[in-house]
Amino acid sequence: MKEHSDAELVIQARTGDGESFGELVRRYQRPAYSVALSVIGKHQDAEDAAQESFMVALERLEECRNPARFAGWLMAIVRNRSRNLIRRESLRRVDEIPASASSSGPRPDRAADISALRGRLKEALSTLSEVQREIVLLHDLEGWKHAEIAERLGMPSGTVRSHLHFARKALRVQLSEWKDYGKGV
Amino acid sequence: MAGQDRPPVATTNVDSFEEPRASLEVVDPGYGLPGYWERFHATVMECAAFELARRRKLARESVAAVLSGWSRSLIPVAVAAAAVAAILVGGEVRHAADASPPLALEDILANEVGDGALQAVMSGQAPASPVAFMALVEGNVP
Repeated sequence: MKEHSDAELVIQARTGDGESFGELVRRYQRPAYSVALSVIGKHQDAEDAAQESFMVALERLEECRNPARFAGWLMAIVRNRSRNLIRRESLRRVDEIPASASSSGPRPDRAADISALRGRLKEALSTLSEVQREIVLLHDLEGWKHAEIAERLGMPSGTVRSHLHFARKALRVQLSEWKDYGKGV
Repeated sequence: MAGQDRPPVATTNVDSFEEPRASLEVVDPGYGLPGYWERFHATVMECAAFELARRRKLARESVAAVLSGWSRSLIPVAVAAAAVAAILVGGEVRHAADASPPLALEDILANEVGDGALQAVMSGQAPASPVAFMALVEGNVP
């Protein structure tokens, strides 16, 4: 099946085509979550912000003047939405693994391990600047290339590389006592 | 040893650019939770259903409005063009009917030149002077 470009999907979604919009969501739900998490730092709120951002994007699709650059436009919405969430002081105090974990998730001991490591990583990530968090998550978690991040965040590729380098270095320092983690960084 | 109880952490491949990636998989809410991203997607699509339906309706109405607009503007323009064409064609026909038939050269000669002058020319006795010849044509021969 032919893979449609972002621009084609945006144009179709403007006419209410659910499949096209669904494909855009599928492509960018993970990066949107990562960007939201880098701003907010809490799982549940990052999830809400990312989901709401897709709604905002759908309602304002006509404002996306260059549909080929949908990803960058969407990430800007996610960032703004996340910052607004913080400002409104309506953040819920929940930062746990989703409740659905109980039925389909890993065994309890494994879930506890994951939770502990997740907490440690989030703590380490919180020591980075917002842009460093965003870049390291998009690159190392979502697998975006330097050039993609540069284009979508609207910054020079060299700056992206620099932020990534210093973010990793800071993470290494923060997590150096974790032997297993240290092997992977 | 304290490190023996630490959870296993997945490590990732080496970044082709310069340095190893940070192992951040565990930050992904789908890590260890199969179906998380499918549920995320389903939630977004459920919330988007109303807006998508509104857009579909708008798109259908827009197409109908364009077609309707075309028909509204095309009919008067076609009528006006037909009227103008009829006026132009009618004028041409009338003009052609009113026009005088062309005069033949022989008729001009026969009407304007007198018999005396013609006979003088035919017999070779026409005067050499243009003034005298014009006087002969106009019948002012002394």
